Amino acid sequence: MSEELIKADEVSKIYRTGDIEVQALHALSLVIGKGEFTAIAGPSGSGKTTLLNIMSGLDIPTTGRAFLSGRQISGMRGSELSDFRRDHIGFIFQSYNLIPVLTVKENIEYIMLLQGVSDKERSSRVAAILKDVELEGMESRIPNQLSGGQQQRVAVARAMVTEPDIILADEPTANLDSSTGAALLDMMRELNERKNMTFLFSTHDTMIMERAKRLVMLKDGQVARDETRE
Amino acid sequence: MKLIFKLAWRNVLRNRRRTLLSGFAVGITLASLIFIDGLYTGMLESMIRTATDSFLGQGQIHAEGFRDTFEIESTINSSEEILRSLGSEDLIEGFSPRTVSPAMLSSAAGVNSVLLYGIDPELEKDISIIDEAVRKGEYISSEGLNQIMIGSKIAETLEVGPGDRLVLTIAQAATGELSQDLFRVKGIFKLDIREVDSGMAFIHIKKSRDLIGLGQATHEIALRFNDIAVAGDRSVGLWKEYSQGGNEAVGWRDLIPQLDGVIDMTELSTVITSSLVFCIVAVIIMHALFMSLYERMFEFGILRAVGTRPLNMALIILLEAASLSFISILFGLALGFLVMQIFTIYGINYKGIEFAGVTITELIYPVMNLKQFTIFPALIMIFSLVAAIYPAVFAARLTPAQAMQRSI
Repeated sequence: MSEELIKADEVSKIYRTGDIEVQALHALSLVIGKGEFTAIAGPSGSGKTTLLNIMSGLDIPTTGRAFLSGRQISGMRGSELSDFRRDHIGFIFQSYNLIPVLTVKENIEYIMLLQGVSDKERSSRVAAILKDVELEGMESRIPNQLSGGQQQRVAVARAMVTEPDIILADEPTANLDSSTGAALLDMMRELNERKNMTFLFSTHDTMIMERAKRLVMLKDGQVARDETRE
Repeated sequence: MKLIFKLAWRNVLRNRRRTLLSGFAVGITLASLIFIDGLYTGMLESMIRTATDSFLGQGQIHAEGFRDTFEIESTINSSEEILRSLGSEDLIEGFSPRTVSPAMLSSAAGVNSVLLYGIDPELEKDISIIDEAVRKGEYISSEGLNQIMIGSKIAETLEVGPGDRLVLTIAQAATGELSQDLFRVKGIFKLDIREVDSGMAFIHIKKSRDLIGLGQATHEIALRFNDIAVAGDRSVGLWKEYSQGGNEAVGWRDLIPQLDGVIDMTELSTVITSSLVFCIVAVIIMHALFMSLYERMFEFGILRAVGTRPLNMALIILLEAASLSFISILFGLALGFLVMQIFTIYGINYKGIEFAGVTITELIYPVMNLKQFTIFPALIMIFSLVAAIYPAVFAARLTPAQAMQRSI
């Protein structure tokens, strides 16, 4: 296996609503290596969303630990956690990914602005990434002037522009037609291969599962199957 | 910071209808506050002017205790010297010496007790509007020592008119013996102040001094200032300067304590009204922010997920509140100015209403001042920001997972 990037170590998660307890993850352990293009799949309620939340520091495990780039992300809080996510993780969500009041350029450079990257550096990186996602000339558009596929490309650009350790994508093709979805996936796969960028998907989509180099199937909060395609 | 401000400002403009409605609501409250304050100020100024200009004067000098007892032997010490000194005071625009004594007026039809004022007809014109209040006949002249001017109610009681004769009976200061003299009614005045119209009469001060046996003494010196605000300021050195040697000098606040009470009451009313208005503003702003926040919950989740710190999340909400408040203030100031301009031209008719012993005799014109257009908007901004603290803390505490329940 390639260099270890993410590690879930005996992670459990219990959701409590009043007297009702739902155990979403059962002492799950999983390691994702650098440069992987992995899909986590499974039926609804299998725990894939919870797992992604915990591995990205968006949620806290009830027991167990999660590590990213050697640091225990499950123990971080507040600004430390925000800064860590900002600097190490890129996110792509299934819809409403972009800030509607910001232009394409402003959406892409948002994280760089939080990081304090200089104007010149930002402009140069935005221009380069827009070329990568084939959206040159659309810098000044606002999200609702773009198609769904174009919006997801902007989301990919925003996730990648800071060159994070990993990009977490939740059902990135869910709201796209099949040809647009396929094109988006091909683009991400190409970026993964060309830049050795790590992608981790949570999905139901067979297109993603087919393109993933590694497929992790979850069932009832545990890893049911873990297969590498290459 | 620039990005956070840009984000907040654009978010405010995002739902234009809601922003417009919220801005309209807050703006109207600001405009109402400006108008209410202007109206109170205008009404008070009118009441003060009515009370002081009618006859009282903006300030007075007496012998100590005279205002309580009205004893005719209690005259101002060194009054001639004081009158000379007042002539060189920069703050003083005019002054008028007076004698004040109870007297009895008799006609063929009846008798009427009055408070008789001896005045210098020319100097008195600068102090009071008694000369302008003459409804029948004429104002007493400097030469007419046996002329008398009486209130309209007295004229009705005594059934006299201009040119008719009246017998004046008055006690002498030194001996208490009564002296009488015959006067011709020169004028009948009406100030629309009940106590004055039914209980005051004016004769020449030379004649009153003779009748009372005062020599050159004076009971009262009425003052008019270049600026009425100075007359209401108890800290002005002039009061202390002339409150020596057994005399006391006081402004209208002490002469009409009930009016001073009204001012205190009005100020309190303004504070209460303002507080209520600011609370309404706070609720409107908080409501608008929460509406916007719940509507954009997923978006806030994304902002948190991609690394926006809790403090910056709070800052976005605070800046949205400031932006909304700014728009509201612009609207409120414009509306407030417009309403004030309209009523400054047309006035409000409260004529005839008596309040704190003062009858309103003129149209009330709201008064614009700097406070209304600086302090009030600033307070609206402050209250808006205070109201935004709760939603800001709420936004700062949002975890990405909570906010994006529908996704990851």
